[in-house]
Amino acid sequence: MADILATSVSGLLAFQKALSVTSNNISNVSTPGYSVESAQFVPQLGNATSAGYLGDGVQVSTVTRNYSELLAGQMRASQSSYSSFNTYSTTAASIDSMLSDSGTGLTASLQNFSNALQTLANAPTQTASGQAVLSSAQSLAQSIQGYAGQLSQADQNIESQVSTSVAQINSLATGIANLNTQIAAQSASGQPPNALLDQRDQLLNQLSQYVSVNTATQNDGELNVFIGTGQSLVSGGTAQTLSTLPNPYNPTQLDIGIASSGATVDVTGAISGGVLGGLLSVRSQVIDPTLNTLGQISVGVANIINQQQAAGLTSTGTQGQPLFAVGAVRVSGSSANTGTAQVSATRTSLSALTTDDYTLTNNGGAWQLFDLTTRQPVTMAGAGTAASPFTAAGLSIVVNGAAGNGDSYLIQPTAAAAAGFSVLLTSPSQIASAAAVQTAAGATNTGTGTIAAATVTDPTNPALLTSTSIVFSSSTQYQINGTGPVYTYTPGAAIAANGWTTSISGTPAAGDTFAVTSNAGNTGDNTNLFAMIDGLGANSLNGGTTSLIGAANTLVSQVGSQTQQAQSNAQAQQAVNTSATAAVNNLSGVNLDEEAASMVRFQQAYQACAQMIQSSSLMFTSLITAIANG
Amino acid sequence: MRISTLGFQSTASQQMQTLEAAIARTQQQLSTGKKLQTAADNPVGMAQVNELNAQLSASQQYVANGNTATANLQLEAQSLTGATNTLQSARDLAVEANNSALTATQRQDIATQLQQQLQDLIATANQKNAAGDYLFAGNAAQTLPFAQSAAGVAYSGSGQVNQIQISSNQRISAGDTGASVFMNIPAGNGTFTTAAAAANTGSASITPGTVTNVAAWVPDTYQISFSSPAQYQVTNSTGAVVASGSYTDGDTVSFNGVQVTLNGTPAAGDQFTVAPAGTASVFSTLSGLIKTLSTANLSNAQLTTQINGALQQIDGALGNFNSVQASVGARLNAITASQTSAQSLQTTLTANVSSLTDVDYTQATTQLSSEELALQAAQQSYASIASLSLFNYIK
Repeated sequence: MADILATSVSGLLAFQKALSVTSNNISNVSTPGYSVESAQFVPQLGNATSAGYLGDGVQVSTVTRNYSELLAGQMRASQSSYSSFNTYSTTAASIDSMLSDSGTGLTASLQNFSNALQTLANAPTQTASGQAVLSSAQSLAQSIQGYAGQLSQADQNIESQVSTSVAQINSLATGIANLNTQIAAQSASGQPPNALLDQRDQLLNQLSQYVSVNTATQNDGELNVFIGTGQSLVSGGTAQTLSTLPNPYNPTQLDIGIASSGATVDVTGAISGGVLGGLLSVRSQVIDPTLNTLGQISVGVANIINQQQAAGLTSTGTQGQPLFAVGAVRVSGSSANTGTAQVSATRTSLSALTTDDYTLTNNGGAWQLFDLTTRQPVTMAGAGTAASPFTAAGLSIVVNGAAGNGDSYLIQPTAAAAAGFSVLLTSPSQIASAAAVQTAAGATNTGTGTIAAATVTDPTNPALLTSTSIVFSSSTQYQINGTGPVYTYTPGAAIAANGWTTSISGTPAAGDTFAVTSNAGNTGDNTNLFAMIDGLGANSLNGGTTSLIGAANTLVSQVGSQTQQAQSNAQAQQAVNTSATAAVNNLSGVNLDEEAASMVRFQQAYQACAQMIQSSSLMFTSLITAIANG
Repeated sequence: MRISTLGFQSTASQQMQTLEAAIARTQQQLSTGKKLQTAADNPVGMAQVNELNAQLSASQQYVANGNTATANLQLEAQSLTGATNTLQSARDLAVEANNSALTATQRQDIATQLQQQLQDLIATANQKNAAGDYLFAGNAAQTLPFAQSAAGVAYSGSGQVNQIQISSNQRISAGDTGASVFMNIPAGNGTFTTAAAAANTGSASITPGTVTNVAAWVPDTYQISFSSPAQYQVTNSTGAVVASGSYTDGDTVSFNGVQVTLNGTPAAGDQFTVAPAGTASVFSTLSGLIKTLSTANLSNAQLTTQINGALQQIDGALGNFNSVQASVGARLNAITASQTSAQSLQTTLTANVSSLTDVDYTQATTQLSSEELALQAAQQSYASIASLSLFNYIK
């Protein structure tokens, strides 16, 4: 009888515990990261009797949580991917919509500038048309500068988000390390500290939003966390500090470092996934290349127009000054350099100029140029001196001073060009509309020779505007100014002197002259404007394969497709993440109907046990009554 | 399958958010009328749109260029018509003056009238266009092209005219230089000029002459000399005799592929010159004529020869005006043709841009309705499912 009582009491106690687990489940129905718990019932072995083992009731051995390491891992992985693509696509989309405005976009600005030159060509003496050229140049410059400004703003946003993310990662890593310590202590009793485990999983989920993580559980319940290519972030109760490091070439750009055996190791290249991974990739894949391409287009416009300005005459009869300023080649020495060498670089060829960045490294006295985009070494000609500079990739590079072994310099041919793109001229009278020189056949010529218009090949020739005559001593020979070497005449062949080149065709007679003189005074000439227009429309970039407008269009569509790809990846990863989260929720989340049923079940069981006590009491009473009456 | 309560609710709210985002997007397309909002919507399409817009803008610029060129050329055509009329009046006066019955005073009156025509012609040649540039100064647009001095009218404009771009591959001259219109007019009949020596005493005059055989013409200065009124010989610049013969009034003298006619009776020792033609300006022709008519003591033979020469020159100038006029007309036609094709190109480009960027309203509206329907269904089902709970039934 006593056994029945004890057995029933064990049931009462067990179901009380079970009901308290159920009530805890119901209370946590809305707690994120809470895993549904269940009381584990274990029957008591009981006493051996001649009639066999009589059970001793029930016991709650432990409270377990519904949890799957596999599903949680899948959820974290998809969370990292989604965060990464989402961050990438958010930044890329802002660049995309900046470039996509068809009314004020780069293509439209370039075309407007070309149109303004056409309008001026219709009547080169019109000051209003000249003013319109300067205005459209101004708006082209503003548009390019504006883009460069927005890109550098986006870059700054990224730097500040990188800092914030690193701080978040550190705080989450510390949290996980602390929980590790507590979990190890609490697990010593042999019972799982479910709430702490849930909390740690929740922190791990948050961490996976910032960076992709790998985990390994130890026997004592501690969890080790790794990032990147296996760098330890949390090891038991210790969290390693992730830090931001200034880039050795560019201190305003932040790299990621992690403390490892006393030193800080640069792990920027190894970081992947999460907000941090997304930020680092959008910086290197979208922002930097866009800035470089914008720079290349700016250099193109400035080169073409400025060269032609010099090759033409303004309304005052002087050779034109540069219309556009453009940022110079950016050369940055590494902070790790030990020598004192000064490296300077200038652009020499527009068509050979690339949008890539390069490093120039002193390898035991031999300088090596390395293309950071193609990851290939680049062969340089020259000796690197001022007299014989290194030439490669449309650049001329001069090294002065002594460099330490291994010293390296980052050379960015176009990165700083767009930010420095501005209009230098202020007055329409400074636009060189007219050709620099004009040609004419002598008035008394008796032959049939005709002279073509001259083109300027070297605007810096001091004798460019000096009057020159080509004098024919016979129908097959000529001299420049009637003296010096005698040249053989070939109809249509180039005749060059004083920085210009022209050609004569037909049959000149002996004594015929052809004059090449300054075009000053012909203020209505538009020849040079057409040279500018033709230059802007020509395939001048990337080895003569791409026009300026073509490059601008390619840039728009490239950023567009990067954004599109990131958006669709983000969407796909969101779907994966949703389904992984649903799988975790469906396994670990609380279902109220289930809890209601459990509640009813445990209530009924509890009532039944109580009834057993009543029944045992009745049995006892019956026995006492029988003895008393006997 | 087990569904967690929190999971059900968060999934449902996520799905509704997705539907709302889709509706917002469709609504944006409908309200802006654009399906291509940024390059990410269609990267290749956006590049095409930019390219097409650039072409459209360039084409519009070419049409505007054509309008400027048309205005210039029409002005030039008017000036040429004016110049032709002036010169025609001058020609009429020259014909009137070519009459030996006129007195010196009457010729002087004609000369005065011709002086007026000359001034008119210079004014026309110095005309400015709407932009304030001289029409016939070439690209020395701000330089007065024709300045008159004691030495005559000199051209100070440029020998080159500006081109104007009227299509992506077509540039035309927006005018003509004053030199080509007024100055470089072939003298005489275009091949040679004729003149009577000032010391001639006979009554014979010489006509401007014609070329009968171009191949036989040897450019040189020839003298037709009369040893007697009935005998002549033609010598070249080295003194060699190239032709000789007898002469009666109205006879034709032929040599080296050319022929000239002499009228009247020459005196012994009279000489006439046949020289290769250079060029003459219409102004110097008129000035020369005025000078001839104002000179009181010229013989009739001299007068006739010089007036005939002037008439020949004036006809040459009129012919030159005509051919410039024709070339202006041809250029105006070329502009009209390129503008017409530009318009049809612009229509095509606009249609292409529209097909890439503009929203298809029917499709978008249908899409919006179906998205709305999906959201409504999601909301209704959520509301009814969320209220289901076993707890409602446990009393």
